[in-house]
Amino acid sequence: MKNNLFIIFTFALLAVMPLILSDYWTGQLNYYLIYGLFALSLSLVWGYGGILCFGQAIFFGIGAYVMAVSTKGMLSPVPANFYLGLSLACMAAAAFAALLGSFLFAGKGINGPYLAIITLAIAMVLERLMSNWYALGGYNGLLDIPPINLGLFSYDLEIWDSRPAFYILWSIVFCITLLLGWLVKSDFGSLLIALRTNPERLTYFGFSPLQIKLKVFCLSAAIAGLAGALFVTLDGFASPTLIGFTLSTEVLIWVALGGKELLIAAFLGAIATRLAENWLSELFGDYWLLILGFLFMVSVVLFPKGLIATPIQAFLKRFNSNKNAA
Amino acid sequence: MLEIKNLVSGYGEATVLKELNCTIAPGGVSAIMGRNGMGKTTLLKTIMGLVRAQSGEIFFNAVPIHSLPTHQIAHKKLGYVPQGREVFDKLTVLENLRLSALGSSKENLQLLPQIYEWFPVLQERSSQKAGTLSGGQQQMLAIARTLIGRPEIILLDEPSEGIQPSIVHEIATRLKKIALSTGLTILLVEQNVDMVMTMADHIHFMENGEIRETVGKEELRNSDEKLRTYLSV
Amino acid sequence: MDIIIPLVDASSYILILIMIALGLMIVFGMMGVINMAHGELFMIGAYVMVLCQSHNLPFWLGLVLAPIMVAFIGLLIETLLIRHIYQRPLDTILATWGLSIALKQAIVLVFGPEAQSVSAPVDESFSIGDFSYPIYRLFIMAASLFMIIATFWIFLKTDFGLMARAVIARPHTSETLGINTRRIYRWSFVFGTALAGLAGALIAPTISVDPQMGLGYLVPGFLSILVGGTGPLAGVLAGAGAIGGTNSLLSVWVSPVAAQIAVFILAIIIIRMRPSGLLGERDEK
Repeated sequence: MKNNLFIIFTFALLAVMPLILSDYWTGQLNYYLIYGLFALSLSLVWGYGGILCFGQAIFFGIGAYVMAVSTKGMLSPVPANFYLGLSLACMAAAAFAALLGSFLFAGKGINGPYLAIITLAIAMVLERLMSNWYALGGYNGLLDIPPINLGLFSYDLEIWDSRPAFYILWSIVFCITLLLGWLVKSDFGSLLIALRTNPERLTYFGFSPLQIKLKVFCLSAAIAGLAGALFVTLDGFASPTLIGFTLSTEVLIWVALGGKELLIAAFLGAIATRLAENWLSELFGDYWLLILGFLFMVSVVLFPKGLIATPIQAFLKRFNSNKNAA
Repeated sequence: MLEIKNLVSGYGEATVLKELNCTIAPGGVSAIMGRNGMGKTTLLKTIMGLVRAQSGEIFFNAVPIHSLPTHQIAHKKLGYVPQGREVFDKLTVLENLRLSALGSSKENLQLLPQIYEWFPVLQERSSQKAGTLSGGQQQMLAIARTLIGRPEIILLDEPSEGIQPSIVHEIATRLKKIALSTGLTILLVEQNVDMVMTMADHIHFMENGEIRETVGKEELRNSDEKLRTYLSV
Repeated sequence: MDIIIPLVDASSYILILIMIALGLMIVFGMMGVINMAHGELFMIGAYVMVLCQSHNLPFWLGLVLAPIMVAFIGLLIETLLIRHIYQRPLDTILATWGLSIALKQAIVLVFGPEAQSVSAPVDESFSIGDFSYPIYRLFIMAASLFMIIATFWIFLKTDFGLMARAVIARPHTSETLGINTRRIYRWSFVFGTALAGLAGALIAPTISVDPQMGLGYLVPGFLSILVGGTGPLAGVLAGAGAIGGTNSLLSVWVSPVAAQIAVFILAIIIIRMRPSGLLGERDEK
């Protein structure tokens, strides 16, 4: 509940933002929400599942391309529909994760630094592949992807304005954050803790570590896929960079800076980093990346739990001890 | 002289040694006996700095060593033969010995003939990989490797473990002889009564992270009641 | 004759890859540290050559300066960053990743984002019959071969190498013998970075030098050590041979993109099937 308190507080604060902010900043906020969702997916698989995925954009990109192809009506017998596109995007990302996961984790399995390098390599391969897949736009990507369309059947309700789009995205991201918040506190969450700390023990109790790993990997991929799908409806543009290496490492930085072991911290990590980038890159120009790199190093060395999670957890601890004292 | 004062040590939250006090006089062989899990290995590891003391002090020749890094503790002339021997199996016997000289002083390589005299089998096998030696030979190598560093005291952790009794006895008598002829101090952690009786002058009994009692060898020889108290399961 | 040139090209690429992979391997095999900034150290090596050229310093001086300067940077990195996170191997990936971003950007700030070129000290080609090959490229091969042999010699024949191998196998036992493992770690790390710096300097005249060049060598380098196995140093030779050879030959015969994709997929399958690598046998620690 206390963790949810932070989630609800954060989202309540976000909800009033479009009322204060200009159109431009509301539009920016829409992107931040999606990046936040993407960060949640990585926090789930890395912070909670203990799987360091250096190529999380693989799933973001798959979601993005599937959404683009399906809403542009390029899958011809399949009707172009927003809802259908979103579900296809999630399913495609999850299916690829299931395939990849069962290949990588089965048997003795690959983990730790090996997994990091391999997922990084896969992201690079896919980026190269998409750049050369001319049916899907190749290097230039796919343009003119339709926006969010709430219409049902043959009736269209396209959302072009940033404020209504904001509240739609806000609702989606809020629901998923609450769901994940509940999930990591549930029995499944306990299994994930066991998976991270004591995988051998799990088998004694009749659980299969492989199954748990696959489940969390696929769920995380589906969320990343959803984020990718929503992203292209906003941006109208799907390019190979969405599947590749740079975005994979960016999301890693957001989540590590925020705090991988606390969902809301990872979410805020994404928003804070993007926001900082937006302001500071104007202020510092080319020095911004230099600063980000150093900040990241310092945070990893001194605050391995994350810059945002560390104070939140300290606060929660005090909150708890006060309550126990009372 | 090795002095341990109010030593508290353990792993993370678990405290294994609770305010342990002990003095090991120079020269001769002291043994520490006790059942499994009483903290004998932890004590040796803490002396070597492999496990950090949570509080308390350790002095060797009146120099405090409890906050030094392990390799500097070794430079103060404390030698350590770990449980399970831990020879470098992929390196040859000679390389194992050479390594110890590199860790202390290269001049210590002059000790090699002496070492080979004590343990002739090591000379015969000097170019073989240590992993191919038998358990007893590996134990001799581990001891010889420590001796190359010219220690004033060596800490031996269960040298009899997994070695056949006749070889255990051979190692024990040879070590005793080395200690007598060189003035080396030996601190032996052991459960093998035969080895302790062959080598030790004093026996410290350890229970629940403390030294409970110290007795001379003669006293122990006359009654095995103590052994039953501290060693029987 | 059509086959000889691609084969020589492939060998040249493999040799450079081995130099990079050896540096990564020393650091990874010994300390468990994954240095994501290794590619940037390689890049800095190349930029030292750019700097030398713009100051009209002789090329050969650059080849000496590059490894020294990169080694110095390596020493700084080890002291300021790596030694604080030895105990947390996964965090080293992240921290060195941050470092890689910072180094790349630092180069952009100093030299600009555009590609630079370094001209080779000799332009002539060496020819026998139909076969003709630039002399400088042959020099790269000879120099990297020499460095690879020197590295093996250091780690297999010298006292430093003996201590390093002992520290890899049993760090705690080595400490109790009086060996300062921290110092061994430090100089091994510095040595690995110097190798990367030299590789970058050597190859600078044959490629376009730009701030993003590191990654293109880092990932194949890592795949080489994963494919080859992290056990004996010789695994690197097999790994880099497999990765570099396939990549280089398929680039000529099919296309660079297909080659890269094929190599990555091949590598992932090998790593999955033989987690300890082609020649690997893992020591228990």
